[in-house]
Amino acid sequence: MKRILAFVLASLMLFALVSTAAAEEPVTLRVLWWGSQTRHDLTMAAIEKFMEKNPDIKIEPEYTSWDGYWEKVATQIAGGVLPDVIQMDHAYLAQYSKAGVLEVLNPYFESGAIDISDVAQGVIDAGKCGGDEVYALSTGTNALVTMYRKDVLDQAGVEMPMEPTIEELAELSRKVYEATGHHNSNFNGFDGVRYYLRSYGLNFYADDGTSLGFDDPKYIADIWQGYVDGTKEGWIKDVGELSATTAFDNLIDDYWAGWHWTNELAAYENGNGFPLEMSLVPVPSDATVPPTFFKASMYWSINSKSEVKDAAARFINFFTNDTDCFDIVGIDRAIPISAKIREHITPNLNETSQRVAAMIDYLGQEGKTSPIMPPDIAVHSQINALLGEYFEQVQYGMVDDLTAHAQAFINEANDIIAKSLAN
Amino acid sequence: MKNKLSRILGKESVAGYIFIAPFIIGLFAFTVIPFFTSLYLAFTDYNILTPPKWIGIQNFRRMFFEDKYFWTSFWVTFKFAFIQVPIKMLVSLGVALILSRNTKAIPFYRSAFYIPSLMGGSVAVALTWKQLFSYDGVINRFTALFGLAPVKWLSNPGTALYVLIGLGVWQFGSSMLIFLAALKNVPASYHEAAIVDGAGPVRRFFKIVFPMITPIFFFNLINQTIGAFQAFNSSYLITQGKPLNTTLYYGVHLYNRAFTYYEMGYGSAMAWFMLLVIAIFTALIFRSSSAWVYYESEGK
Repeated sequence: MKRILAFVLASLMLFALVSTAAAEEPVTLRVLWWGSQTRHDLTMAAIEKFMEKNPDIKIEPEYTSWDGYWEKVATQIAGGVLPDVIQMDHAYLAQYSKAGVLEVLNPYFESGAIDISDVAQGVIDAGKCGGDEVYALSTGTNALVTMYRKDVLDQAGVEMPMEPTIEELAELSRKVYEATGHHNSNFNGFDGVRYYLRSYGLNFYADDGTSLGFDDPKYIADIWQGYVDGTKEGWIKDVGELSATTAFDNLIDDYWAGWHWTNELAAYENGNGFPLEMSLVPVPSDATVPPTFFKASMYWSINSKSEVKDAAARFINFFTNDTDCFDIVGIDRAIPISAKIREHITPNLNETSQRVAAMIDYLGQEGKTSPIMPPDIAVHSQINALLGEYFEQVQYGMVDDLTAHAQAFINEANDIIAKSLAN
Repeated sequence: MKNKLSRILGKESVAGYIFIAPFIIGLFAFTVIPFFTSLYLAFTDYNILTPPKWIGIQNFRRMFFEDKYFWTSFWVTFKFAFIQVPIKMLVSLGVALILSRNTKAIPFYRSAFYIPSLMGGSVAVALTWKQLFSYDGVINRFTALFGLAPVKWLSNPGTALYVLIGLGVWQFGSSMLIFLAALKNVPASYHEAAIVDGAGPVRRFFKIVFPMITPIFFFNLINQTIGAFQAFNSSYLITQGKPLNTTLYYGVHLYNRAFTYYEMGYGSAMAWFMLLVIAIFTALIFRSSSAWVYYESEGK
């Protein structure tokens, strides 16, 4: 029985020792992001640098791919263990800021803890949700573009225009398929529909977020029709012949093009082993507005329940204004928002990054882009899944009347939105 | 003072509590508290981000009358369980019968057959399965050698669920091992007596072996049925419920609602309904057991 006593006392002592030791250690800052392996490596290196310059902060990084990221965040919120700094996306900003998960950043801007003097107002505004409060600060500017394999096009003896129309892209895809057997897609996912709508000055969601932003089923039906025609002609792979398992590897199939954000160019080239070229996203030939928009991307947010918010702000400041950080990460998190940093890194960029910067410059010309829409509504992920499901029925040839099918989607989506607002 | 403390700690019952404390703490932290929390949440609207709001039986009403995926996923899971469980029972019993013979190579085969179960729940096995059955996967490449056209195993609404059932059946190792132990327990003298009386192997199986192992059969049946109703991994990892929701297990639908759309209250309600369904089936199997399970000690 003495042994038991000794054991209990010894463990108590050990516990006491551990807790005093912890008090003298640097504060622990947990940082969470999603990304590719390229980004994980670069971010880890940048974090090392940050800790070297800030010995009083110890960073515990957590990272995952985009698949599963939001499930992870939700679980961590439920468990009360959400990291202090979290990477945020435009699509989720409304939902999280409304729920009070995100710290309002304005005080940190005012105190200078996060220095935004070199950042354009438009970029700051992208972190707002209706009001004046800024909930997230992006790390860079991005645009969705068509990435394609020039080697395949050369083989087929065709060329991709810088600003293709949907009709031109279909024609090209047909030729490439006949000459080389390489397939393509017709940009038919959620983004495909979104950009198609934007080409006519519409949005997927109404600006006030109470319904879809369009009534006419023709827009979705058009995209689906493009898919059906493409599969008939053979250049779109039949559903089920795909072997891609995640969003990241659709160029691993024999696809010669895909739609990706400019900052992902290096990741796709590394991941697939093919050199890629970029052009704008395809637009309908009767488009009235350029659908492409600059997206403030990969926001950093602070967990409103964090106990080390000052450390979190220092980290975000490092990721906004510190040349040491960008010497490491370059433009992996898109073209930096600080004008000074942009100036600093441009001469040192590698060839791939230079091309990305050139593409952003190209889009910066008059008439190539239109302003970004408001953040997606809170039930966006549900609407997105619903659209996928309706499209799946088209893919399986279960739908004769595409317009009626699109109308059914619109009705059901509006219903879901209305219900979510009623609660 | 010290004496008093040592006297308390020295009591046998106190020492006992200290020893079981880790288990008790674990039980409360990971089972009892979540269990009752989810019962409470089943009657709330809870999106994780804001505190739960009491809404009575709304979740259940929505489940039965409004959620179009609820019944889809319910029937998919039923179909999955009713096809997988019998096949898996037969296969594991069959393999156990073969492996219950004593030859030199048997220990190797026993381990080999058990390995899939060891890794069964793992992500790697599911992804391997996905690769095997994908359109340009190993299976299609193999059949192509014989001039057969490739089959869209995973994206054909008619075959996808069966591929997943196949994965479940393939992981028969643990029930096989339990059967094996039971078969070893059938006394050799019964066999010898039956052989003397002129009974063939088939007759011996149905008249002696099977009745003797019915308690184990019963045990495996219940375990496998419960496991099948809770299926999640294979669909989540391989098909995500596709194509056309033909592999949308109840567990996957629940997960989507709770973790993708943050409807924790609704997810909890779904979980409780499944608990009820599993309880009913277990009770039915228990009730039926008196008709076919043979317990030696009862002398029936």
